[in-house]
Amino acid sequence: MKCFSRGMLVGAALLPLVMAFAPSRAIAQGGQPVKIGVVLSLSGPAAVFGLPERNAIMAIEKEIAAAGGVKGRKLELVFFDDKTNPTEAARGVTQLINDEKVVAIIGPGTGGTILAAGPIAERLKVPLLGPAGTVAVTAKTNSFAPWVFRVAINDMVGVQTLLQSAVKKGAKRIGIIYQEDAYGKFGAEYAQKLSAEHGFTVAETVSAAYTATDLTSQATRLRNANVDAVFIQMSISSLGAAFLKAANDVGLKVPFFANSGLAQKSFIDAAGSLGEGVHVLSIGNLPYDPTPAEQKLVALLRKNGNEPQGWGEIIGGNGLMTVVAALKAIDGPVTGEKMRDTIEGLCGFETYSMGKPCFSKDNHDGWGADALVVTTIRGGQFRSAP
Amino acid sequence: MIEYVIRGLINGAVYGILALPMSLLFATAGTVDFAIGAYALIAAAVATSVAGTLGLVAGVLSALLASAVMAGIFALLKRSGEEGIRVALASFGLSVAIASIVLLIWGTQPFVRPTFSRMLEIGGLRINPQGLINVAISVGLVALTYYLLRATSLGRMMRAAAANPVGAELAAIPVLGVQCGTILAGGLLGGLAGLLILHSAGLDFTASLSLTFIGFAAAIIFGIQTPLRSLFGGLAMGVVEALSAGFTSGMVTSMIPSAFMLVVLMTGLLGSNRFAGDRP
Amino acid sequence: MIGKRRPNTLVMLALAAASCAVTSSNPVWLDISILTGILSLISLSAGLSYGQAGILSMAQGVFAAIGAYASAIATTRFGLSPFAALVFALALPALMAWSVARAVTWMAPLATALATLALGTLVEIVARNWDDVTGGYIGISGVPPIPGFEKPVVFNILVWGFVCVAVLLYENLMDSAWGRALNIIRHDRTRAIADGVAVAPLLSAMLAFSAAMAGAGGWLYVHYITYMSPQSLDTQTSISVLLMAVVGGADFILGPVIGTLLLNMLGKLLPAQEAQGLFYGGALIVILLVARDGLLGRIGYLLSLLRRKEPAEPKPVPSAVTAPEVAP
Repeated sequence: MKCFSRGMLVGAALLPLVMAFAPSRAIAQGGQPVKIGVVLSLSGPAAVFGLPERNAIMAIEKEIAAAGGVKGRKLELVFFDDKTNPTEAARGVTQLINDEKVVAIIGPGTGGTILAAGPIAERLKVPLLGPAGTVAVTAKTNSFAPWVFRVAINDMVGVQTLLQSAVKKGAKRIGIIYQEDAYGKFGAEYAQKLSAEHGFTVAETVSAAYTATDLTSQATRLRNANVDAVFIQMSISSLGAAFLKAANDVGLKVPFFANSGLAQKSFIDAAGSLGEGVHVLSIGNLPYDPTPAEQKLVALLRKNGNEPQGWGEIIGGNGLMTVVAALKAIDGPVTGEKMRDTIEGLCGFETYSMGKPCFSKDNHDGWGADALVVTTIRGGQFRSAP
Repeated sequence: MIEYVIRGLINGAVYGILALPMSLLFATAGTVDFAIGAYALIAAAVATSVAGTLGLVAGVLSALLASAVMAGIFALLKRSGEEGIRVALASFGLSVAIASIVLLIWGTQPFVRPTFSRMLEIGGLRINPQGLINVAISVGLVALTYYLLRATSLGRMMRAAAANPVGAELAAIPVLGVQCGTILAGGLLGGLAGLLILHSAGLDFTASLSLTFIGFAAAIIFGIQTPLRSLFGGLAMGVVEALSAGFTSGMVTSMIPSAFMLVVLMTGLLGSNRFAGDRP
Repeated sequence: MIGKRRPNTLVMLALAAASCAVTSSNPVWLDISILTGILSLISLSAGLSYGQAGILSMAQGVFAAIGAYASAIATTRFGLSPFAALVFALALPALMAWSVARAVTWMAPLATALATLALGTLVEIVARNWDDVTGGYIGISGVPPIPGFEKPVVFNILVWGFVCVAVLLYENLMDSAWGRALNIIRHDRTRAIADGVAVAPLLSAMLAFSAAMAGAGGWLYVHYITYMSPQSLDTQTSISVLLMAVVGGADFILGPVIGTLLLNMLGKLLPAQEAQGLFYGGALIVILLVARDGLLGRIGYLLSLLRRKEPAEPKPVPSAVTAPEVAP
């Protein structure tokens, strides 16, 4: 239903353009649209990020369609919901490549789903543009490493940026709370590794399951360990808010540094006044202090009836803009292999994100620390200024 | 140590409310309602959208409505056969559907509504007054249920329906009505639990099944038959969780509730005939 | 011969052959067919334990995961061939199921359901945290495909071959004294004890057998997807295969296979959006309400209606035809 109406809208937007340009360009390219697969977590736990990613991709696609496509080629997006599940992701990638003949896939949505889809992408020779920070996604040891690119920020870079800023603000004994999943566990372990190098100690590490309804025990433990700052490695905003509440309940009053997982509007809403002063790492700052490039994305989203939620839109946009940049660089027919080779050579192309994206043969992580910003919650908003 | 136990007790009180309808329904109808957590979810979701006290009423009403749907399904299923597992599966379907409705309407936002910013200091312990309210409501509800079961004719009917459905039917007790009523009570209690969680830790659209499992586990620990025990089951779950979060780490913490449940099952505390699938 | 005494196996063979023939030309259908076959195998194992023995196992997906992990670890870490690894993929889940079942005294249905649920959760947690062996949350990638079956077309045949063998074993079992003993247990435990059936050991063996069947499904899964993580096969899978078995008709040997086909198709037709759960849950409720014994039960019922009607039309006194059916 939704897909249908989207098609209608795009079609309606395209109609006058096609009529105007039809003789010159579209025919010259054979009139065949370039098909791009979008496999994102539109349901399941990662839907929090998957839905904004999709919204941004749809908004930008409309804009591209209105401008007559990329180099005269029309874009056609084919969506698939991986349900935050590796099997579904593998199935979606197989289906989109075989059935729809897509030449690149934005997604799948999470670390696990990208790793599951990687071998298929390798076998069928179509690159994946993964919007996940999970380190292993672009590890060189993967057999499918040449076919997977990252359009988010590597989690290692994120944790390091955040902890550096914590140390700068005077933190020495850092406590860690993480959620029990790949994201949480990695952050906690990596912070431990960084401690010697950056001059802080990890005084206590506690964790919380997704399903936890009460985090006062964890907060009590951090309080008893006399930490002077807490590093929150979570991506579920209700869990983050529950922790702030628990910390307030037990009297744990230290600066909080939350990783980008919590840079969500819903975290602020859920935390309420307790969120004030919490430092949150973010990829750009779309909803509150957008840079000029980000403002353009905000305008596109609003035009499409979506309010910006956080960085999901930015990395979704990164995915599509990488595709666009590659298409601009390609002459003649587009194939998956050509897309892969071209993306590997892309450096410094136009996106809606902060920082300069740069891919190379050895580096499939397009964005680095310059795409990140440590925000502080003030007045119920993430503010970029220190 | 004592601090963890107290915090565990406070948290466990809510588990007790979730466990209560589980045990009531199992006693009267021999089945399990997987949608209890979904009632809590829908109540919390509705209560966040409607401001003030009215929101609380609307929340409980929506939970009641959801459980009325379940009661209808139950009655229809009951007409065609006796097996409790079909009811359980249908309630699972309902739970999935409700979670999906919440996701459709409210999106992925968490539901939380803090009430108190000033903490109580009791013997050097900072406690959120909401926690005490939770405990009071939980104990009150269990006491009320106990009274209803023991001292009213409704309670007698429920007990009769539980002890011997056929005999109760012959004695002109509307067994089906009692069972449907129990499901509605589950909606009421689940909704209340949802509101309490809304005002303490908060929840989001993924919470429904895990809340159900918590209630389930709490209900069986000391035997599913009497509602009074479900309160203690909830408290025990809370304490075990708090202690494991306080003293163990990562993997062990998350394993303890399930391991606890497995051990309870292995020790055969659930020896009742009803459980064993014996002849009634 | 086989058709007379093993009708289900025959039907399954035909179904499998049809599936292999129809899907062989289209890679996407092939993919769907393979995954459906694997899920059918796991849901068959759920149908076996629930429909025949009355054990509600909430861990069939997790048993499959154990089989998958066993094979993934054996092949990637120790360089065993996938065929040798199959032994572990079958034995390990069976062993685990057996020991848990024996530990839970008396094998009461609800207690077993909860015990398997708890077991599933524990296994998942271990898989997530035992980084050195299971690869933690990230999982194990680069699992080799099965030699000789790398091509999806051939793999598809292998998968449905497994399903056919499972159905044959299942049908043989139900035709034996054990199978009859199981059905007695399901209907009346006290009667079974009186008949001299060792209830708990037999049920435990049943659960172990069905766990091995699920393990085989896991083995096929991991060598097809070539990647295994704690999310791949989890309690969600356990619950959905159980739903598939019930929807298709757990009492019938082929019920789970039909249920898997149907729910998988249904999943394809649904919009891939937030409303998925609503449709899925709603469809489940409707099927439970409309077809009590699952789809096969419903079809059987309709067929029996037809059979009764047909002779009724020419002759108004059909008692001679219906009587043998009704008589016990």
